[in-house]
Amino acid sequence: MDALEGLTVLDFTSHLAGPYCTKLLADTGARVIKIERPGGDPARAQQPFLGDQPGPDRGATWHYLNTNKESVAVDLANPGSRDVVRRLMGAAQLAVTSSTPLVERELGIDYATLSGYADVPVVSVTNFGHDGPYRDYRLSDTVLYAMGAEMYSHGLAHREPLKLGGTAAVLQGGAMAAVAAMGAVTAYEVHGVGQLVDVPLFTVQISNIDRRSSSILAYRFSGRVQQRPQGAGGLAGGVYPVADGYVEVTATAGNYWRRFVDMIDDDALREPKWDNPMTAMDPAAKEEADGIVYPWMLSRTRAEVWDEARRARAMVAPIYDGTDLFGDENFHDRGLWAEIEHHEIGRQPILGRPYIFEKTPWRIRSAAPALGQHTDAVLGELGYATGEIGRLRAEGVVA
Amino acid sequence: MNEYLPLQGVRICDFTAVWAGQTATMYLADMGAECIKVENPFIWNPMTRAASPRINAMVAAILPPWIAGHPPEPGPRPWNNSPAFIQVLRNKKSVTVDSRRPEGLEIVKQIIRSSDVIAENLALGTLEKLGLSDDAIRAERPDIIILHMPAFGRTGAYIEGRGYGAHIDSVAGSTILRGYRDSSPSDNVGIFAGDYWGGMHGAFALMAALRHRRRTGEGQVIEMAQVESSAHMFPQAALDAAWNGRAHRSVGNRSIEGFVPNGVFPTAGTDRWIAISCRSDQEWRALVEFMGNPDWAASPDLGTAAGRARQEELVEARVAEWTAVRDRDELFHALQTAGVTAGPVLTAGEAAQDPHLAATGTWKRLPATEDYPEVDWLRPAYRFSKSDVDLRTPPCLFGEHNDYVYRDLLGFDDDTIERLRAEGHIADTFAPEALENG
Repeated sequence: MDALEGLTVLDFTSHLAGPYCTKLLADTGARVIKIERPGGDPARAQQPFLGDQPGPDRGATWHYLNTNKESVAVDLANPGSRDVVRRLMGAAQLAVTSSTPLVERELGIDYATLSGYADVPVVSVTNFGHDGPYRDYRLSDTVLYAMGAEMYSHGLAHREPLKLGGTAAVLQGGAMAAVAAMGAVTAYEVHGVGQLVDVPLFTVQISNIDRRSSSILAYRFSGRVQQRPQGAGGLAGGVYPVADGYVEVTATAGNYWRRFVDMIDDDALREPKWDNPMTAMDPAAKEEADGIVYPWMLSRTRAEVWDEARRARAMVAPIYDGTDLFGDENFHDRGLWAEIEHHEIGRQPILGRPYIFEKTPWRIRSAAPALGQHTDAVLGELGYATGEIGRLRAEGVVA
Repeated sequence: MNEYLPLQGVRICDFTAVWAGQTATMYLADMGAECIKVENPFIWNPMTRAASPRINAMVAAILPPWIAGHPPEPGPRPWNNSPAFIQVLRNKKSVTVDSRRPEGLEIVKQIIRSSDVIAENLALGTLEKLGLSDDAIRAERPDIIILHMPAFGRTGAYIEGRGYGAHIDSVAGSTILRGYRDSSPSDNVGIFAGDYWGGMHGAFALMAALRHRRRTGEGQVIEMAQVESSAHMFPQAALDAAWNGRAHRSVGNRSIEGFVPNGVFPTAGTDRWIAISCRSDQEWRALVEFMGNPDWAASPDLGTAAGRARQEELVEARVAEWTAVRDRDELFHALQTAGVTAGPVLTAGEAAQDPHLAATGTWKRLPATEDYPEVDWLRPAYRFSKSDVDLRTPPCLFGEHNDYVYRDLLGFDDDTIERLRAEGHIADTFAPEALENG
């Protein structure tokens, strides 16, 4: 039995954050009915595409985020959609939205309206929440990361601060919303309460433990603010070039330094003078250590360094790109990669389970849906006769 | 306040460390689970309560503030006031026991017997060495849910791999994507995005498993390899590799979503920056109009994202010239009002004082303790309108709940408690040297 079997989720989200939240629910067994705008979720237009050929059913981002979902195409801007949404809410135990408060109201998917149809939990992923001075402001991944604090400390002193890769900050908001959704579903199932759960992306980013919330608390405690560059502590530490790329090293004084030295296996580094936090502050000592470490690194590949690191339990790992991750037999064998089967793009690899459940499967039941693929079937389940569905379609309410 | 706490009545036996594990159990504690953090007075768990148990003010000052910005000095109990760790202990309880000794292990087993969840992300094999294999845990509590969060997996070629967030980010494909476009990844280090991500996915998986147990009575083991969950933070890069054989590299602050311009631009003053994204051609036109329709922006080629992408450096340079003489915060509000996505690069100090965060109830002031002053602390990132998902109890100090656990939960009498205190199981201070010397 799937862990979330029997849970029906009405998914009003689009783009990245909301769909990542509902993907986690869908892949764990929930039935997720995606209410898609007539032109389709903008994520359908996002790169990369299979063979670099764009198309609404060809995007990897789209496919990744919408596995196991059903698509019902509804024009929420059309007042005729209200009855459809009312009946859909009657069949759901959770609704998820990802519009700004103004748009929620325009589309009739604000909490007051939705909870009037059915008293089930509504998780609302917003940019800045439902109140406060920035409520109606816009966000992108970069702006979110900038305001989330500590982009300021990322990068070099004389250059601009740097963000994370891809769209990580936005997806973090989606993951946090999934945790909130499980809390809301649990409260609904255990206590019988529906409620609004507001998940502001800005607050999620501020709460991010990676040097953001901790830096803010550090400021409150000590008044200190991290400047760029942070650098890596220790006599050796940070990113090192090797024969075919880079590796990441932590070798602060103590255990980690001793394991690092065991990895390098050079007696010169075994002298006790090195294993002292103050030695790392001495540029001459660092230069002397670098003289041993760099040649060792540069004469080995990432795989060779990682083999030696694992032998010595050293805190060293290779810097992978996507092709490394896809090409790594270990991760394939463990099941990191799964497959989707789709009428247009065929069988394609997709990132698989983020976790392994012993008893309840993580599984792909279906690839991402075509726009409106499930409109007729779902409306039929809700009691709409074929003629009524035809009329709604003719009126532009559904597609 | 009506509580409706989702996880009321759920107890967690918490062996988590560092950030990933400790945030996973924090999210469950926020939701009402009773999270009992099991701590050993004789073993210093690295990067779990502070950088070091013996950190002094001089060393703290040379370490980064996020890890060593103690208030304002570490004091005698740095494990109770490291900004990196104390706040992930909110809503939790702390019990101490030396689980390496038979009597200590028996106490841990008693806690397990009354627990619904056990969670850990220690170095692979640590729990087994203590005598707490999955089978041994289930012998105490057959329907328990066990969450393991290893770095690289509990099976396969990399089980001996050791790492913190930085190493997990490296293998997951994060590090390669976050430098400047024209230099190596070494320019942007010490970032641990996977910790937080792993914590959220661990919490999600636990709540899914708890639902299954409510419905079937069945517990289970969950393995979440942190590198595998982290790979999901960068699906575009991973899937472009898998589908098209393309290896992504850093694009600096440019967008992989086709937004142009998209970047971080200087503003007036020292080291003050604003992030601007034109997420559509409409936002671009709004920006151009707001800039006063400069000649350089009038070219019809720049009217589409594809056209702007062909002249991205020129667009970025012109926008930067324009922002460089303007006030960051005025620009932020004015651009947003004009319909352009923009926001300041906030420092930690500025975020602490941000008016929106203050107005939306982001913080809650907690009274001072012996270990830290009265300051504002984060509440959970989301707001539940009915359930009291909140910062309800302050971060647990080391050993703070020994009395509750030994007396109320386990039902030990005064004599036994005194004996356990004398033998070092019950403690309110770390003494890693005590056993070595004794």
